[in-house]
Amino acid sequence: MKGLLPRLIKRILGGIVMILVVASFTFFLIHLIPGNPVEAKLMQLETAGVTPLRAQIEVQAMYGFLPHQPLDIQYIHYIWQILHLNLGQSITYAGVSVTHLLLEAMPWTVITVTSGIIVSFVVGILTGVIIAVYRDRGISNALTLFSTFLHGIPQLILALLLAFLFTTIWPIFPFGSPYDAVLTPGFTLPFIGSLIWHAVLPVAAYAISSYGGWALTMKSSVISVLGDDFILASELRGLKPRIRIGYIARNAILPLFTTLTLSIGFMFGGSVFIEEIFDYRGLGYMLITAVGNLDYPLMAGSFLIITVAVIVANIIADFVYTAIDPRIRT
Amino acid sequence: MSAKLTDRSQQDFGLSPEVACQVRDLNVTYRVDGRELSALREVSLDIRQGQITAVIGESGSGKSTLALALMNAVSSPGRIASGRVTYRGLGEVTGMRGEELRRIRGKAISMVFQASQNSMNPLTRIGAQLLDLARSHDLPNPRAVLREAGDLASRMSLDADRVLTSYQHQLSGGMRQRVGIIFGLVLKPEILLMDEPTTALDVLSQSSVLEIVRSIQRERQLTTVLITHDMGVVAELADRVVVLYAGRVVEEASTAELLRHPRHPYTRSLIQAIPRLTGDPGDAKALEGQPPSLASVPNQGCVFRERCPYRMDVCETILPSFRFDGDGEHRFACHYEEARHD
Ligand SMILES: Nc1ncnc2c1ncn2[C@@H]1O[C@H](COP(=O)(O)OP(=O)(O)OP(=O)(O)O)[C@@H](O)[C@H]1O
Ligand code: SF4
Ligand SMILES: [Mg+2]
Repeated sequence: MKGLLPRLIKRILGGIVMILVVASFTFFLIHLIPGNPVEAKLMQLETAGVTPLRAQIEVQAMYGFLPHQPLDIQYIHYIWQILHLNLGQSITYAGVSVTHLLLEAMPWTVITVTSGIIVSFVVGILTGVIIAVYRDRGISNALTLFSTFLHGIPQLILALLLAFLFTTIWPIFPFGSPYDAVLTPGFTLPFIGSLIWHAVLPVAAYAISSYGGWALTMKSSVISVLGDDFILASELRGLKPRIRIGYIARNAILPLFTTLTLSIGFMFGGSVFIEEIFDYRGLGYMLITAVGNLDYPLMAGSFLIITVAVIVANIIADFVYTAIDPRIRT
Repeated sequence: MSAKLTDRSQQDFGLSPEVACQVRDLNVTYRVDGRELSALREVSLDIRQGQITAVIGESGSGKSTLALALMNAVSSPGRIASGRVTYRGLGEVTGMRGEELRRIRGKAISMVFQASQNSMNPLTRIGAQLLDLARSHDLPNPRAVLREAGDLASRMSLDADRVLTSYQHQLSGGMRQRVGIIFGLVLKPEILLMDEPTTALDVLSQSSVLEIVRSIQRERQLTTVLITHDMGVVAELADRVVVLYAGRVVEEASTAELLRHPRHPYTRSLIQAIPRLTGDPGDAKALEGQPPSLASVPNQGCVFRERCPYRMDVCETILPSFRFDGDGEHRFACHYEEARHD
């Protein structure tokens, strides 16, 4: 296990650098936007009769820096605020801190995206194994066809279809926020039930859209492992089928982790559309609201948090990979 | 189940006492581009109890195919088209399937693979894989297998503790090949099939490993089939030799007899190719030309004729049948030799 910790530390440092890069990017983006929104806000407040001092305080609270200061000072201020988890104040939800908004939204996105990934990964892998093992039978062809079909539907179309089918034509699933508004959040059965009930459609959208890809990738990975010498050897050594399938599955899953890393980013990106379609108030929903209302602090904050989520998920995926493959550890 | 097995282990299945395994009229084909091509043709053999039988032939002659057929493990696109393989105490493996076959493989009959340096699961420690092997064959005390493996490792000058706790990628090619041999021996099989077991080893460790295999074989009276393309290895180790050419047995004799009186022109060329045996390196010469591919093996006449210096008209059309020599212990199939001696 000696290589595990250094690798993890390296990954975390890399993640921090990545987060800083994204933070810097949003900082400069706000400066590059025509009619600098920070400056505009300041002007707006001043013309509205607010004293310059108060206006400056408000703008600073909103963005974390002031437009008159030299750029490097602004930048340092901005990063400094971020490091203190202070992401400014929202414009859309006037006076509410962005950090507060995002912390509320984050669990829903993380839960739905992660469940979607796990469900599709597990079911896809099992399907792939079945397709590969029963290669010459009808069930294999049927599953391949089915997986290829699902793989071909774009996530957006799929989400629209699900929303149309199950909230309009046949409204068995609820539409909208992560839980019924009448319930108070907590570890109570009705609350958790309501959470799950509201999450079904978004999770299904994530899961179904990536399921076919997993099944097909796993199929070819299993077929390639089946041709490996050690699998023939395990058969000729009379290993029990259960043990052999374990050998095959572990070896075949490994190459899928690279794809998993890509998929995590893709799914979090997809949350922007999926949460919009299901009116599900998570990070993606926040981001699209921010964009719609030119709420730059909220936009920058959402970007940053989604980046952090993707990076953390990637570190976890990498960690699991390292735990399975001894060749990386030593 | 076990009652049935003990019953079987007492049975000889019609084999004469000195024979451990009988191969009769074995034909194996591979399906290539929709055509069934023969990789083994009418192979019949008696593998002797407690001896080392070497199978020698060039690349593509069907040696590995034979080893697989001996375990009824020829898999798609290949198949055993006809013929029987029968073991004393086990029965006819060519008629077995599924669980019955699985219990025999790796336990009563074990195989050291041609690519045995790649025969381990890369994600699991060697020791854990030995335990998997022991559990698969329902051994009452799986840990004892680790002890046995450790002993074998030490005999093959490996650091036993290190090997058992290693992953495959932490071992060198030569070490892995020795580990492959340990896997083949650790459950104390009755029959050991070894397919070019020492190809990844340098000449020195090759002969030391073969020496150890030989001594274990003697201790256990282990019936062994040793597949090789190296006549030097045959001379050092084997009790009997079977010469394979293009999927056919062309000669078989005890090692001493075969080396002293080779009868088939192909066998002679194999012996001449070994400088160690002729004594004078200048005399060593390799056989010219290439063996036929599966698709180009002639369907009639002698399979060796394209490269045979003694080729006659009859060789084109008529398959030479076996002639016996030396009180029936030596057989060969060649028109020229047959004519010379009759
Ligand atoms: N899966 C396969 N599909 C098609 N042809 C095959 C297959 N496996 C083996 N063959 C052919 O069968 C013939 C015998 O192969 P085999 O592997 O038994 O030879 P070998 O004597 O073991 O050779 P080598 O010394 O190279 O190991 C060869 O011509 C080979 O090309
Ligand atoms: S049968 Fe003919 S071709 Fe074949 S080995 Fe003998 S002499 Fe040569
Ligand atoms: Mg071979």
